[in-house]
Amino acid sequence: MAVYKRTYKPYSGELTANWTRFTILPRYSLAKIFDSKILIGLLLVSLLPFLVAATIIYLTHNPIARTLIGMRGENILSIDNRFFFQLLKIQGSLAFLITAWIGPGLVSPDLTNNALPLYLCRPFSRVEYVLGKLSVLFFLLSLVTWVPDLFLYVLQGELEGNGWLMANLSIAYAIVAGSLLWITVQSLLALALSAWVKWRIAASGLMFAIFFVAAGFGETFNQVLRTYWGHTINLVYLINEVWADLFGVPTNVSFGRRGVGDPRTLSVPLGVAWAVLLSVCALCLLLLNRRLRAREVVR
Amino acid sequence: MAYAANQSILFDNVSKFYGDVLGVNRISLAIGPGVTSLVGPNGSGKTTLMNLMTGLIWPTKGSVRVLGLTAQDPERFFRLVGYCTQFDSFARGVTGREFIYDSLRLHGLTHKEAADRTQESLERVNMTEAADRKVAAYSKGMRQRVRLAQSICHHPKVLVLDEPLNGLDPMARAESMALFSALGKDGMHVIISSHILHEVDRISDQVILLNSGYVVAEGQIQGVRDEVKEHPMQIMLRCSHPGLMAAKLFAQDHIMEAKLHDDGRGMLIRTRDAGRFYSQLHEIVLEGEIDLEAVAPADDDVNSVYQYLIGSEGATV
Repeated sequence: MAVYKRTYKPYSGELTANWTRFTILPRYSLAKIFDSKILIGLLLVSLLPFLVAATIIYLTHNPIARTLIGMRGENILSIDNRFFFQLLKIQGSLAFLITAWIGPGLVSPDLTNNALPLYLCRPFSRVEYVLGKLSVLFFLLSLVTWVPDLFLYVLQGELEGNGWLMANLSIAYAIVAGSLLWITVQSLLALALSAWVKWRIAASGLMFAIFFVAAGFGETFNQVLRTYWGHTINLVYLINEVWADLFGVPTNVSFGRRGVGDPRTLSVPLGVAWAVLLSVCALCLLLLNRRLRAREVVR
Repeated sequence: MAYAANQSILFDNVSKFYGDVLGVNRISLAIGPGVTSLVGPNGSGKTTLMNLMTGLIWPTKGSVRVLGLTAQDPERFFRLVGYCTQFDSFARGVTGREFIYDSLRLHGLTHKEAADRTQESLERVNMTEAADRKVAAYSKGMRQRVRLAQSICHHPKVLVLDEPLNGLDPMARAESMALFSALGKDGMHVIISSHILHEVDRISDQVILLNSGYVVAEGQIQGVRDEVKEHPMQIMLRCSHPGLMAAKLFAQDHIMEAKLHDDGRGMLIRTRDAGRFYSQLHEIVLEGEIDLEAVAPADDDVNSVYQYLIGSEGATV
């Protein structure tokens, strides 16, 4: 008969808060990502719009500096909602490149190596796993979108004075809300593709296809059927619609050079734009939910 | 053997289906402390059973309770359970120490506690010297040991090991088996799945034989062997006059076959009733004509039982 001493005692000491545990995941993901020279290059390029915008804001408020560099005239640009809207459009494009580069490599290695059982046999849920992976993209994309833009907003407010900051709070809201929406859409899409397409290059390619081939297909649809509903599969168009509304600038009627009355110059209703973007997010969550399991069934 | 609910892993009429694919069906088990081996061919349901007891999947029907808890109480449940998968799942650039440390942080341990327990578990698997090297530079055996360390680092009471001896050299294999035995004797529930049958046979307190999602047999391996009535037991004898011994044994109807050894100092007996055989052997020895040197069952190891019950030969790497 076996004699069991029962000397083994599980840990019963202090525990960290549950909600903080997802932060363990980004640590190595970020370390791995920053090993990539291409990504560091992309991040530096993504900061260029910020540097240019900061210079413009500074020059706008400093006539002496303008004179010193040989610029004449009262103002070079009006720093307003349109300025920040255009800036976010540029940054959004660069953020997409970063996502397409790193997103596909976030989940697929864990699935390839069957690492999910190791994560999930701890007090750590699939939701926390997704949050951990999303936080990698949120951190990086925030660095090139709303964080520098808010800095520029404060810089503009400080240089302008006269209560500009408070009078233009809607710009700050538009910067944060617009950026977070874009980050959410493309991050979830990248994670879903990473979960379903194991080959990283293929996943990146698919991401480009979803954004640009679908846009081309939608535009063809518009041309052939003389409608504007083809825009509903153009995610870049839709996010521009939403941003334009958030920033309070005219909606996206400048797509194509068409005459007044041409249905293709009309915008997709704002509600539809929101609905499509949120549906994409929901679909990605559904795909992640189906894929991120602790076991794989071999049929 | 009956165990108290809070001292055992209880499967109560558990079935698990993945859509139309059968994982396991109508499993009722009580696994007590000590080393328990899950044995069965590929697709027999070993990993499903392990996933069920580690809370990674939920039964389609029935219930699983581990020391009285279910995975619905994850904080307490997962503190009791350690899982060592058979797959590599290391982040690129991570060291052995960091891998274990992070797993402890996922369990919610503070930095100091996690660092202390990481060191302790590394010592337990003899990996302290290589702990700060990157896992990518480890041999297969070292990776296996680091995985084992991460599964015991939080002091679980239930340790589930999926093919834990794969890739280990003989020395590391012997050390690991000694560790499993020690953990079992400490009162831990150690569940091992392995294809290395003769090794799990040596360290197991009980085996669970699975085939096609069903439990074929469970219990101590000799007990299981006794239940396999359709396959006569084989017993090896070493004695002074094997021919005479065979003649005396054949006086009983339960003896089916006797094969004399080439050296004339022993034989292999096949009998339908081991109990009666041993009684008869006792009487023969008492008569004093034959000197008996050794008696040993020849086919009550896991490998034989596995072949008899499942009909497929287990590896003996």
